Amino acid sequence: MSGQSTGAAPGEATPFATVIASGGRLLLAAVDPIAAAAGLMPGMPLADARSFVPGLATAAAEPAEDRAALTRLAEWCGRYSPWTAPDGADGIKLEITGCAHLWGGEGALAADLAGRLSRQHVGHRIAIAGSLGAAWALARFAASASGAPIVPSDRIRDALVALPVEALRLDPATCQGLRRVGLKRIGELYPMPRDALARRFGESMAARLDQATGELPEPLSPLGETPTRRVRLSFAEPIADTADLARAAERLAQDLVHRLAREGMGVRRLDLGFHRIDGRVEHIRVGTARPNRDPAHLAKLFAARLDTVDPGLGVEDVILAAFAIERLEPEQIALAGAGAAIEGSGIAPLVDQLGVKLGPDAISRLETRASHIPERASVAVVVGKERSDKHLVIPGRLRPRSGMTSGNVEKSPLKPPRPVRLLMSPEPIEAFWLLPDDPPFRFVWRRRRHRVAHADGPERIAAEWWRPEGPDKEDAIRDYYQVEDGEGRRFWLFRAGLPGEKRPPRWFVHGVFA
Amino acid sequence: MSGAVGLERIPLARNRRLPAESDLVSQRSLVTKSSLATKSIASLAALRDRVKRLEHPAAMAHGILPFDVAAIDRVLPGGGLVLGAVHEIIGHGGDEEDGAAAAGFAAGILARLGAGIVLWCQKRPDLYGPGLAAYGLDPARIVLVAVPRDDAILWALEEGLRAGNRAGLVAVIGEIGRLPVVASRRLQLAAERSGITALVLRRWRDGGEAAAERGQPSVAMTRWRIAAIPSAVPPDLPEIGRWIGRPRWRVELLRCRGGGPAVWPEIWEVETADATGHVCLPAELADRPAEPRLPDVGPIDRRRAG
Repeated sequence: MSGQSTGAAPGEATPFATVIASGGRLLLAAVDPIAAAAGLMPGMPLADARSFVPGLATAAAEPAEDRAALTRLAEWCGRYSPWTAPDGADGIKLEITGCAHLWGGEGALAADLAGRLSRQHVGHRIAIAGSLGAAWALARFAASASGAPIVPSDRIRDALVALPVEALRLDPATCQGLRRVGLKRIGELYPMPRDALARRFGESMAARLDQATGELPEPLSPLGETPTRRVRLSFAEPIADTADLARAAERLAQDLVHRLAREGMGVRRLDLGFHRIDGRVEHIRVGTARPNRDPAHLAKLFAARLDTVDPGLGVEDVILAAFAIERLEPEQIALAGAGAAIEGSGIAPLVDQLGVKLGPDAISRLETRASHIPERASVAVVVGKERSDKHLVIPGRLRPRSGMTSGNVEKSPLKPPRPVRLLMSPEPIEAFWLLPDDPPFRFVWRRRRHRVAHADGPERIAAEWWRPEGPDKEDAIRDYYQVEDGEGRRFWLFRAGLPGEKRPPRWFVHGVFA
Repeated sequence: MSGAVGLERIPLARNRRLPAESDLVSQRSLVTKSSLATKSIASLAALRDRVKRLEHPAAMAHGILPFDVAAIDRVLPGGGLVLGAVHEIIGHGGDEEDGAAAAGFAAGILARLGAGIVLWCQKRPDLYGPGLAAYGLDPARIVLVAVPRDDAILWALEEGLRAGNRAGLVAVIGEIGRLPVVASRRLQLAAERSGITALVLRRWRDGGEAAAERGQPSVAMTRWRIAAIPSAVPPDLPEIGRWIGRPRWRVELLRCRGGGPAVWPEIWEVETADATGHVCLPAELADRPAEPRLPDVGPIDRRRAG
């Protein structure tokens, strides 16, 4: 079933119209009821309108703004149903199948909608029908001020009999053609043979008729993504206090979790929508590192972002929608793909909480990989995006093993020492050295001069030839030296390029030892 | 003797609080008195513990992490690093910006804290797993938070402290440039409440910031300054070439609440932390032979490569 409304400027004593420039002339884009009563209509040149109604007040039409406002209103209508979408330039369609009982029936829903729209000074006409086409027709051509027509599926044909053919959402040329052969009302089309109509006026005209009568289904593509689960909380009086909003979020989280727990599901993405009384909707969107259904945790995620919500004059509805629902077994409490130390701990809620405020990419883990290229041997991987090919990781390789570690200079006899800080990209240094294969005796890094007192090396690390960027890279072969300066600070330097080559070797600092 | 009086007072105090149960409580106090006579030695130990607890409430609430180096532990109240408190670590010279030695010292402490997760907050991710592993800190234990602002790091640390044990954390560590007193106080309170240890690694952008922040007060339990110093060349090998010897740190205890040495700052020269996270005094300075934590495999073959 669908409903739609038409907006117009609030009634004033003076006639009012918006104007739009078209083909070098100013045309009326929309008129208010007083202007309409005086005989003005959209599309009329402004000069003509002025001659009819000298006191006409005008303003420039803003079609883009109108469209945005209509989309906002459609979004606000999300309080009635998740399936809402703007319809053309002047309507909103709502799929309310299965939603009406929450409001005490279709009539009550329409009355509630009408009341709220009136309070926002939105002129509207509402119709509810068994098909989208019929609701469209009734709202535009049959609705009166006294309540919305409600037409169940089996009475659509009767309801449409008296309406003009324009109510079938046809293009003007087709309507004109129909009128020319004397077909003015929809009822007059019923006895016509279908194939004859289609031949004469096109397949689309016949399809429109079938859509209106409900014989041809017409799906509604909603505004935005349709949530999998959705819970709503409405208030008798609008609320604006942050503490109240937080409590509402908590209540909704509990309601949602109650349902999820019954189904054995957890949620990955959530949208908390605050429907303000002025028709705007404020959103908080959060994601979780793994499927979750802990109400306290979810409420906390929202609470961290509540300060971004502007409640305006008040919030009358709060809707919590869950997207991306995944199976969550009661006992599974682990981060997908995380390392052994992190699995089994309750770190995931903390990761979510930090991620909500700092951005999901801010949280990472150090993943140890089997590569001899220093920057590839230990990589910061964003939590939740860990690599699944675990076979590349050799856990325990870097951990001390009894009998192999000496607590000495060389932490492990198998591996030369590695710095605690590795620069994200090696920084070039100004270095001075004597013999081709020697480490520098002096270097300048970040405007600081260091005299090398001791050095260990070189340790040759060549690029991995099996990688595409492999051996042809400039610094494919690096000779690493650990050097100690006069103060005792130790650095990890390397020389890119081989001594005997045409291009002089360049020196870089890659890390700092503790 | 005065300790015994203290013990007697405690049931009396309880008595005043719960007048309805006065009969029951006075009976209990009788039992306490009689057992005091027989188990006076055990009671004395408990009493000492109690006095310590009164003197350093935070210290005893969550335990102590000794360095296992007598010279250092001696000057620390309680005989080690107080857990559930904030400890500040700063670098020296150019390392105030790089924070390498400080990170190594912190890694050694974190390694000895147990098997839980460490929340490590910094501005740009530049920690290197294999390097940390050398000081005993398994990189798989680290959850890294990279945010470019000090206040965001402080917030993350506080959230970490608040999540505490529930999240499986044993410690949080943040690399912070500017640390206002209020922020350090908040951290200290959160740490005391949760029992999680917070390390604040001061890392300054440049010399200007370092000069402005170096002397600022903070409410951290201790403040350490760690500097890498020239490595020890074995004395019996006069001409070892230019090889690097055993790396060393100069560890300075600049400040220590509730005790500490008579002379400030207390300075030790230690060998860098080993694979179990322990520092040790160099052999020629210690009153005992340098004793590695794990069995030695003998002299390392140190050929020059290349």
